[in-house]
Amino acid sequence: MPFLIEHLIEIVFVSFVVVLLGNCFLIGIALTRRQRRRKYFHRIDALREKYGPVVAGILSGQIAYAQGLQELRGISGSDRMVMLERLCLEQKTAPGQEHALGRLSEDLGLVKIWQQRLMGQIDPASLKAALAHPEGLVDRVSALQFLIRAKSAENLGAIHHEPSWPLLVKTLEDPHPDLQSVAARALSEIQHPGSFPALVAQMHKVVLESTSALSLRAIKAALISFPLETADELLPSLRHPNPRVRFLSTDIIREMVEREAAGRPDFFLDKRNLEPGLAEVFLVELPFDENPDVRARAAPVISYLADSRALPLLLTLLEDAAWFVRLHTVRALAKQRFLPQAGQIARTLTDSNWRVREATVRTLRGFGSAGRERLTEHFLGTSDRYSREQIADEFQRAGLIPELLSQCAENGNGRETRVLSSLAEMGKTSYIVSVLTQGKGNGRLRKRFLQKFGCSPDPQIQHWVEEVAQQESDSELRALAQAALITNHQHGEG
Amino acid sequence: MEVWRQIFIHGMNMFNLFIVSYFFIGNGVYTLLMVLSLGSVWLYNRRLAYQGMDEIRESPVTPPVTIIIPAWNEEQIILKTTESILQTDYPELEVVVVDDGSSDRTLERLVKRFQLVKMDLIYRAHIPTREVRGFYMNPDRPNFLVVSKENGGKPDALNVGLNLCRTPYFCTLDADSILENDALLRLMRPVIRSPINTVASGGIVRVLNGCEVRDGRVVNIALPKSRLERFQVVEYLRSFLFGRKIGDLLGGTLIVSGAFAIFHRETVLDVGGFAHDTVTEDMDLIVQIHHWAVKNRRHLTMSFTSDPVCWTECPATLKMLGKQRRRWQMGLCQTLWKHSEMLFNRRYGLVGNFSFPFHLYVEALGAVAEFLGYFMVPLAIIFSMVPATLYLLFVLLSLAYGGLLSVGAVLLEELTYRRYPGYRDLATLLWFALIESIGYRQLVLYYRFEGVVRFLTGFRRWEKVTHVGVAN
Repeated sequence: MPFLIEHLIEIVFVSFVVVLLGNCFLIGIALTRRQRRRKYFHRIDALREKYGPVVAGILSGQIAYAQGLQELRGISGSDRMVMLERLCLEQKTAPGQEHALGRLSEDLGLVKIWQQRLMGQIDPASLKAALAHPEGLVDRVSALQFLIRAKSAENLGAIHHEPSWPLLVKTLEDPHPDLQSVAARALSEIQHPGSFPALVAQMHKVVLESTSALSLRAIKAALISFPLETADELLPSLRHPNPRVRFLSTDIIREMVEREAAGRPDFFLDKRNLEPGLAEVFLVELPFDENPDVRARAAPVISYLADSRALPLLLTLLEDAAWFVRLHTVRALAKQRFLPQAGQIARTLTDSNWRVREATVRTLRGFGSAGRERLTEHFLGTSDRYSREQIADEFQRAGLIPELLSQCAENGNGRETRVLSSLAEMGKTSYIVSVLTQGKGNGRLRKRFLQKFGCSPDPQIQHWVEEVAQQESDSELRALAQAALITNHQHGEG
Repeated sequence: MEVWRQIFIHGMNMFNLFIVSYFFIGNGVYTLLMVLSLGSVWLYNRRLAYQGMDEIRESPVTPPVTIIIPAWNEEQIILKTTESILQTDYPELEVVVVDDGSSDRTLERLVKRFQLVKMDLIYRAHIPTREVRGFYMNPDRPNFLVVSKENGGKPDALNVGLNLCRTPYFCTLDADSILENDALLRLMRPVIRSPINTVASGGIVRVLNGCEVRDGRVVNIALPKSRLERFQVVEYLRSFLFGRKIGDLLGGTLIVSGAFAIFHRETVLDVGGFAHDTVTEDMDLIVQIHHWAVKNRRHLTMSFTSDPVCWTECPATLKMLGKQRRRWQMGLCQTLWKHSEMLFNRRYGLVGNFSFPFHLYVEALGAVAEFLGYFMVPLAIIFSMVPATLYLLFVLLSLAYGGLLSVGAVLLEELTYRRYPGYRDLATLLWFALIESIGYRQLVLYYRFEGVVRFLTGFRRWEKVTHVGVAN
């Protein structure tokens, strides 16, 4: 036993010394690292200050290209290429300057290095620099190859380097997921039409081979960024036997179309911007696809088609068995040109699914005053509790209550008064009372409200009437409130 | 009498053996975690160089997110938090603040600051909750909603938010937290990039105390003044950069801090939302999801990333620290007990065979072993069962080892994010990492032990940690 204890003491003592030295070692690394980073940032800051305006000047054309290039070539040091890379890529490029940045990167030798690195080759310049400085060599060895390759792919995409697209397409097949993902993104930046089929093939692979390391969202994002003119490459995918491939292809085209249409209310799809064969598939095949996801995603595209068959198809999809097809269709119909169909759209206000009801309310409201008229009519005319609730919800969320109140004050017994009366019956009076409480200056509005709704049994209105009866400085209003309270009291007793 | 003496000696020997085994196994695992984390976090940081944040920001495939902030008596900090959230850089964002029946002016402050009006909106309770009293909105800010409800605890408030959530993902955020501008984008990145359905994604929580906050943004990062808070800075670094990262690396995530995490809405609804029967609803939810996935044969993943940053107030007083740590330990014990069938259950893979036993043995029972060790080992010396030299050396080793782990965490921070800019900050962090094991560790251990005792005695109450707005 004493022998064992002695050994244990030795073991614990040695462990203690080792751990203590370990502490010192880690502290040493932390402090050295901080020192190195500080030096690095001082250098990059100095270079930014000196050469940042040069790069900016070259890109904007304010500095002669040859002169600027000469200046940048003057940067020396073992980390010259790293610094040049940072200076070029940090520069925010205005639209149209990408080409100049690409040319500059090429002339500085950066593109060649990135391409070599992406191919897994060791570029002589950086190897020479690394060998000259042991510290750099350690960095080079420590940085895993895929990191360097992925960063190179990213850089080629960032400068929109068109000639590199075949290399990036090849990288899509790399076994490392990071490289696949970055290559897809770089291709989406370059947007060379030749790379689109390769990305489509990659999408098929991701869907059909569950082992793929690339995420569907990443490949989809890459495809979406291409111009709509390239979408005809997706035609075979829209007819693919796999329903998920069809769904994704439809959704990618939908996203492309939505992007093109953004901010353009008069946007249409015709043979000038969509290949007729593709349009036919959307009109003839996809609305009847067995996969409801495909039908749902086809509806928004159909809504942009300048074809007489589009509207009947949309109205058919509005009655689809799958609720999310109806949902996407209602949303797709939220365009001013479908205002004449407001009546048909309003039918889905009584849909069995609340999301469809909600989308319908929003679509109708998006039609402006005509849509609001339709909603009000439905609200007052229907006995369907759910659609009434939905419309009441939207009236509040959209901030329409103050407007209803002021119109009620103006029009007396108009429809607005009936809407407010219905809201009071439904117990949806919080917003109304808030407006009345906050809008103390508007005596006419409050007078009208007291006359019309002072006797309402709604507890929130009653509470407000009591407050007015007790605290209001305007004697007329106070008298009205007191009268309403007396009437209420009598009704209560009766 | 001799028999009793023998029993006592035998018992002491057994206990000492347990302490020694706990020390070596626990620290061995921690060392392994440290080495793996150093590699993993370093690699992750290098990969950030080509992660394309702009693409995530601009891409239409980036899913919309709802941020749910449960708030109970948070009048001191709620405006700061909300302002920070509303400035978050994310393409499609909704914010729901759930006032859990506060007795202070939390709701009034929100209503006044954001000019909200009370509305009677539709509430669909997919998960049953306490009664909702009202909704507050400003029609000019359609993506911001405040809900007032009867007090029902944090899980209940989160469930209300979940019921109102319309987006495929939601983010839970503590009311005392401030998000970095791009934190949500960074947190969503693994969700977007992963080929497998990511149902939970957690980020790093850092200590806000001492930092300067302006217009809902952390504009100057600095260490807090008090020693208690500085120790917590080191502790948070160790906990998030080591513990969480390794769970992610091995695919055995058992804890995702609900202070700042993203969850897949449908999955959380499928598991029944946040449960009320533990005081750490975030950990419980993660374990529930593991259960659900195994039961329904779903292939899913959870991730932890160390670059999305959420700044949060840590307790500034011993009383508040005690409340927080007791709750964490009690919640850990409750969750492990509730899901005990996962222990060494091969159906749960790494979660059942590594994460669960690790949390049980090192995190839950470890607190008891270590606490009792401080009393039992001296007893063993008194009874001449262990030489005093050995005990002394063992204590020194333990202290140095604790320091090593903390220094490792500070080094990891230095190798990657370097949030604390000055040399002085680094030196302070290293110093506090070295001395953390002397005094502070024992203090926290005491609170953790109390937490275990409370679990064993059936204590269930949530101890509120009051935030006082300690940022500058």
